[in-house]
Amino acid sequence: MVDAIRFEEVSFRYGAADVVRGVTLSAAPGEFLSLLGPSGCGKTTLLKLVGGYLEPEGGRIWMSGQEMTRTPPQSRQIGMVFQNYALFPHLTARLNVAFGLEVRGEPAATTARRVEEMLDRVRLETALRDRLPAELSGGQQQRVALARALAFAPRLLLLDEPFASLDRHLRDQLRGELRRIHQESGVTTLLVTHDQEEALGISDRIAVMHGGRILQDGTPRDLYERPRGEFVAGFLGEANIVPGDLLDRSPRRRFLVRPEQIRLDGDRPGQVRSVCYQGATALLEVETDQFLWKVRAPATARIRPGEAVRLALPGDPWECGGESDEGSNA
Amino acid sequence: MTRSLRSGWGVAPAAVMTAIGVYVPLLLLFRLSLCAPARGRGFYEPGSWTLQNYARLADPLVARTAAFTIVFGLTVAAVSVALGYASALFLYRLTERGQRIGLALLLLPKTAGLLATLFGIQYWLDRGLFAALIGEVYFVFPYSVLVLFAALRRIDPDWLGAARGLGASRWQIFRRIVLPLSRPALLVAFQLSALWGLGSFLGPLFLGEPRHSTLSVEFHRRAFEYGEWPLAAAEATLLLGLLLLAVVGLPSIARQPPRRTP
Repeated sequence: MVDAIRFEEVSFRYGAADVVRGVTLSAAPGEFLSLLGPSGCGKTTLLKLVGGYLEPEGGRIWMSGQEMTRTPPQSRQIGMVFQNYALFPHLTARLNVAFGLEVRGEPAATTARRVEEMLDRVRLETALRDRLPAELSGGQQQRVALARALAFAPRLLLLDEPFASLDRHLRDQLRGELRRIHQESGVTTLLVTHDQEEALGISDRIAVMHGGRILQDGTPRDLYERPRGEFVAGFLGEANIVPGDLLDRSPRRRFLVRPEQIRLDGDRPGQVRSVCYQGATALLEVETDQFLWKVRAPATARIRPGEAVRLALPGDPWECGGESDEGSNA
Repeated sequence: MTRSLRSGWGVAPAAVMTAIGVYVPLLLLFRLSLCAPARGRGFYEPGSWTLQNYARLADPLVARTAAFTIVFGLTVAAVSVALGYASALFLYRLTERGQRIGLALLLLPKTAGLLATLFGIQYWLDRGLFAALIGEVYFVFPYSVLVLFAALRRIDPDWLGAARGLGASRWQIFRRIVLPLSRPALLVAFQLSALWGLGSFLGPLFLGEPRHSTLSVEFHRRAFEYGEWPLAAAEATLLLGLLLLAVVGLPSIARQPPRRTP
């Protein structure tokens, strides 16, 4: 199967700064791939390289077996949702969605039908469809931006931090809808985000970026359970990065112990330093003689700071770093 | 005291200045246009009331001058806006540094003084309609560049990027995004330029031929060469009417309801 999108050793620099360094990555047709990393890691630059808004210094970009490295944006057939949505302020929701079809010279009837179909798909109420972007809420604008990006049946959908400016509740709701829309349209999707929870919840596959490089790519479960390197381990979810000697292993190796892997019915004595109540669970900080552990406990256990507990550590912790590890301490 | 009342007082100094500097002289001008011409010494008969000055505006010469003023003024405005828009679009595409240099180059000649500029143009072009037009455009168009450039700067580059990504060509982006978004500024620039153009004085006076007199030139001549102040005042009032029409009338001509459905 030909990859929907493939990067080969792609690099880019802004002035003297290497922003993207030899990235090789691909996505299968229909896949939902997230580029996850802290701000400044090069993920948005990578997205702009796919969109054709920037040209790489080196390397090549392929789409469905066709080289696209220097193809201008208007010839790439890529739908993009910008971080601020970039809706045209003088055009109504309908006209924004129609734009990509109109500039392609689609017949008016086809355009009108397709516009309604797209706005139905993103579930924008009919009453809102003749409003200007300024007359819509952030969530509604995002729906319009998504409909606009999908209207001309793009080969690839790019999403640049699409949930960044929405409140938590709306973000969760729209994330679920994005997943549904992705499944309905079947379009290969590339999402850029710094929010690990978002990436874990929505993606088929995640590529973690740091310092212009892809540190690891794999399924959300892969990355969470078997991260390569301490950066990836620490960036996704809560993590204890533990020197080996605490786990009766080589002191030169470092291991990942997730807070939920630690139980409170063991024999390693410790004292609870703090409790962060999170609804269903609570995240504890437990101090033993050598280490401050993050431990997840059911909220129903009602543990209080100062309490004495006994920890049970997992028998097969994942080795995520040590002397030979490149990604450590990054 | 309520907030609106306090802010109401805030504009009082401006209102007083406007009254003293603008409305009082205009009222005096209007009163003067209703005075009879002087029979003995002086320039008008104080205390007299007549409409004869307005009747004299029907004179073919005045009507011709008024018509010329309108055509000339609107031409100045159209050329200034076209030239200004082209320059603003050019500036918009430069780097930040290029924009600063470009704007400085544009405004630098303004420091040279009107007369120096006029003599420069006179030296370079023969007297005539074209020279008069060039002179006025030269005065007016930098202002339209400023207005239009400020409007273009408010266009988010992401909108242009989004349009490209959606498959629009350069021309389509210009026609469907840039042009509609700069429409209000184009109107303001045209109004501003039309006000200047309709009031054209120095260009036609120094660079044009006598038959290229505008109303401003005409009432200047009427007042200061022939001493017919009341008639000059009536001509000035006529010009004022034209200017008001430009301020009030042009926007309503240019307004058009936005398209709402595909």
